[in-house]
Amino acid sequence: MKVLENGTDEQLLVVAAQRDPSRFAELYEGNFERVYAFIARRVASREDAQDLTAEVFHEALRNLSRFEWRGLPFAAWLLGIASHLLADRWRHFARRHEVPAGDLNEPGADPQIETHAMLSQLVDALAPDQRLVVLRRFVEQKSLREIAGELGRSEGAVKQLQFRALQNLRAQMRSRYV
Amino acid sequence: MSDTTPDTTMIDQLDAGIEALLAHPKTGTSVSDPVLAELLGIASQLRMLPSPEFKAMLKADLLDRVDVTGETGTRKERRKADLTVPSGVLPTLAGTGAGLYPVHRSSFMVSLVAHAMAVALLVTSGIWAAQGVREVSRVSSHLVTDVSPYLLPAADDKTGGGGGGGDLDKVQASKGMPPKFSREQFAPPAVVVRNEDPKLAVDPTVIGPPNISFPVGPMGDPISGVMGIPSSGTGTGGGIGSGRDGGVGVGSGRGVGTGVGGGIGGGVYLVGRGVSAPRAIYDPEPEYSEEGRKARYQGTVLLQVVVGVDGRTRDVRVARSLGMGLDEKALEAVRQWRFDPATQDGQPVAVLVNIEVNFRLY
Repeated sequence: MKVLENGTDEQLLVVAAQRDPSRFAELYEGNFERVYAFIARRVASREDAQDLTAEVFHEALRNLSRFEWRGLPFAAWLLGIASHLLADRWRHFARRHEVPAGDLNEPGADPQIETHAMLSQLVDALAPDQRLVVLRRFVEQKSLREIAGELGRSEGAVKQLQFRALQNLRAQMRSRYV
Repeated sequence: MSDTTPDTTMIDQLDAGIEALLAHPKTGTSVSDPVLAELLGIASQLRMLPSPEFKAMLKADLLDRVDVTGETGTRKERRKADLTVPSGVLPTLAGTGAGLYPVHRSSFMVSLVAHAMAVALLVTSGIWAAQGVREVSRVSSHLVTDVSPYLLPAADDKTGGGGGGGDLDKVQASKGMPPKFSREQFAPPAVVVRNEDPKLAVDPTVIGPPNISFPVGPMGDPISGVMGIPSSGTGTGGGIGSGRDGGVGVGSGRGVGTGVGGGIGGGVYLVGRGVSAPRAIYDPEPEYSEEGRKARYQGTVLLQVVVGVDGRTRDVRVARSLGMGLDEKALEAVRQWRFDPATQDGQPVAVLVNIEVNFRLY
């Protein structure tokens, strides 16, 4: 996850994107994981999380010119949009409430969001075979046998790769936060 | 248990926990080993990772949207952004502007419309000014009282006025000549004198121009065919003939002939010398003719009009023409006029009057 060095850099980037919307891609790259993590913790499925994340960025692009720099990071504005969209979704689909509405009060105050947002980047940093196993196993939710067949390895070997991948992720996260 | 030396049991337990997590994500799993629990927690978060292609697809979708719309936000907000970071774009007629102040397209449009309206106003004002002439045109008309000496129209066979009389005799008046004309009449003429010894003897006269004289002869009606039988006629009011009111003939009044009010030969009076001017009681003004207005033609039309005893106009003719259709307009209007008729000795008489109609453009 790309983090801007300071507020001034981000402010300049926002102003640049307001003048030239194609620069919005840089804001997107810098905030995608955080927004996705925020939403993913509040919905039940990946599909919902992806749909809402897409909505957030489309909405942000549409209203980018209205953004006024008031000292808060651009991510706070994006998470605010996400909160509104989540609230709308929950209002319309009341039976699918999965997170208490209180979670929406402070969109930027959840430390686990940063952990979750970082996880995606840590996965990308894994060894290729471990990364592949993680994606097949958790994102595509394939069985060990299917993954073993794809990789041409035994189920035990895939199980080992899965274990080592999780251990590496844990170690990386602990090294950053513990 | 060490983080770096996993045993087979732990790997199997982790996989079992992952299987349970993927199968029942809401239920979760409970394990006593804190390391295993931590790994399952990470696994739980990995379950919600976005698909690898999602991020790239969403980015491409957003960039496509930018290409389609070209820009985002309202114009006002974009202008605000323009002020924040000067673009260096040179000012253009309808562009975003440069420098300290932005160029507002709406202002440009308002200015354009205002200037267009001003030009249109200047162009059309000439038309309005031409139309305005209609409103400042003025037509006035008035009766012109002829105060010239009392002269009857010079004609060989016809003069104005007339009169008649008689003293209720049973035969028509006998043929003869009228008495002399005078401005005043103190005694009407008579063929048969009823009072031969008046206290104040006055020569009989008839009203008319004193410079007109008749041949000398016995008194009577010049047009009567009764010869030899003296008679003042069957009329009334004194005088000679079958008329009335002290004249000679079949008319009415103290003149001679078929007319009324005095004089001789019929016809009408002129105003003055005891004849009052008629008073207009309904006198609509003429309209300006279109031809005269376009030519900005001005002047006065003089009409001669007979105002009858009924107050209506007749025998209207143009005494001084102006042309350009203005004569016709004047005639058309004056024919509609109505008068209190002229009077002589309290009796309505027909008079010939002049009416001036002035056509002016201001």
